[in-house]
Amino acid sequence: MLRVRIIKKIGEFALDVGFEAPPGVTILFGPSGSGKSMTLRAIAGILRPDSGAITISEETLFDAGRRIDIPARKRRVGYVFQNLALFPHLSVLENVEFGMGGDRASNRERALAIMESLRISQTARRRPRDISGGEAQRVALARALSSGPRILLLDEPLSAIDEATKTAIIADLKAINREMRLPIIYVTHSREEAITMGERVIVYERGRVIATGEPLAVFRAPATASVAKLTVADNIFEGTVITSSAEGGTMSVEISDGTGACRVEVPYGDAAAGQRVRVVVPPGDILLATEEPRLTSARNVLTGQITKIEVKSNHTHIEVLGGVRWTVSVTREAVRELGLATGNQVWLAFKTHSCYLLDESA
Amino acid sequence: MSDIDWFPLRLSIQVALMATSAVVVTGVALGWLLARRRFFGRELLDAAVTLPLVLPPTVLGYYLLVLLGRASPVGRAFESLTGQPLVFTWKGAVIAAAIGALPLMVKSSRAAIGAVDRDLEDAARTLGQSEWRVFRRVTLPLAARGIIAAAMLAFARSLGDFGATLMVAGNIPGRTQTAAIAIYDATQSGRDDYALLLVLILSGAALLIVYATNKLAALR
Repeated sequence: MLRVRIIKKIGEFALDVGFEAPPGVTILFGPSGSGKSMTLRAIAGILRPDSGAITISEETLFDAGRRIDIPARKRRVGYVFQNLALFPHLSVLENVEFGMGGDRASNRERALAIMESLRISQTARRRPRDISGGEAQRVALARALSSGPRILLLDEPLSAIDEATKTAIIADLKAINREMRLPIIYVTHSREEAITMGERVIVYERGRVIATGEPLAVFRAPATASVAKLTVADNIFEGTVITSSAEGGTMSVEISDGTGACRVEVPYGDAAAGQRVRVVVPPGDILLATEEPRLTSARNVLTGQITKIEVKSNHTHIEVLGGVRWTVSVTREAVRELGLATGNQVWLAFKTHSCYLLDESA
Repeated sequence: MSDIDWFPLRLSIQVALMATSAVVVTGVALGWLLARRRFFGRELLDAAVTLPLVLPPTVLGYYLLVLLGRASPVGRAFESLTGQPLVFTWKGAVIAAAIGALPLMVKSSRAAIGAVDRDLEDAARTLGQSEWRVFRRVTLPLAARGIIAAAMLAFARSLGDFGATLMVAGNIPGRTQTAAIAIYDATQSGRDDYALLLVLILSGAALLIVYATNKLAALR
């Protein structure tokens, strides 16, 4: 278990965060400049917090109050830097061996074994500048693992590589996670990576933790408007409550954006008619049909025209203009089987409880 | 021309080699300190190290005489240890040449070390390396080219030191008379051929070294 509770001010920016990370993948999620990398640097011991404490298991790595600051070299933290920081003057093999403490022969054997498991043995003699981005990523991972770390810090490990390689490395990371059960702190600003990789997500904004929980829970039901802005981004609408029924458990809300307006039914949220609210509908919770659905339990059925189809890594975003501008997330197979194309008329259906009211107070 | 006096040239090369070796170690250490450590008076130290570049050589020589002379603590300590004074010997010439070359070495080392990506050093730290090993295994190899170029320039600079050397080591033919001083001496006493010969040799050497340094810097 990793425990972090730190404050660090650099100029105008203040990092003030606290969290716990048990073995498994913990995602630090948030926009760039929100303090995610700073947190990793503090855990690794290459940035000294102003106050607070960092512990792994029962060992204190840093404690401002007790004046404990274990130097980076003694922390046994595996760190994959955002720019990878491979040593350009050394071969790939020498990079992987760099932090090993044993004798030459056993180091080489272990390094080659780690490289074998990450399928980068063929790059052993090459220099980092002569290998591909995906290979470089694995070399950095192999190097971080080679020194026998107690915890693994990954700073946007998949930001600079193509989709196919990403999928392969995610599989590698999952295998490492299964085998080693270390606390893995994984920094990203990609929702897909957070959902695919994360057992827990910690959402950062301007140096603070604004949400913590299971990725799906945090991403599907963002508790506050600021979390939603970071985690959902799509289908957030301003609206006015038209009717509100506590007994029925629902409210009717007129939502609008620059393109138009429409009425949706949302869960009852203690708001009176006429009150302004914000509604979010996760793109994955919307059903898309090419004919009008007649028999459905969904209380919200709208129609509109497809204006854009955008293929992402493992799903496709369909933009539909139907009263307002909707984003719907579907699989590639669905796009093919339904024969979806720009200009088609489609129907959107979603449940009342797929609409989330955002708490504006936070 | 069989009776050419090669002593001044030989002495200059010896002095320059020794001055360069002294200056490489101190220059790299100071360059690292200035590039990588934050401490009170850092820029003041940088300015002080730069002074030999801008001060008149005679001023530098004067300081060195005061600092190293037979009456000074350093001079006395040196004399009691070795039985010889420091000033008006070739050792004085080494010190004068070294001080003159130090700014070049420090400035270039600071730039070369400063250009090394700090993430690489941090990565080495997280891989269990001590500060000394981080320097030796990461910083130094990556800054090596700049440091070698700086050492070559420092050698060229030491080879031709005149003012400070004259003040500290004097002009004793066969003992402390370096090539630069011998040129002055030869023109004063009408031995123009000898002066020209040394001038051409020193110019050629300087040109070669600066050319090689530029080549080295242009390599990728």
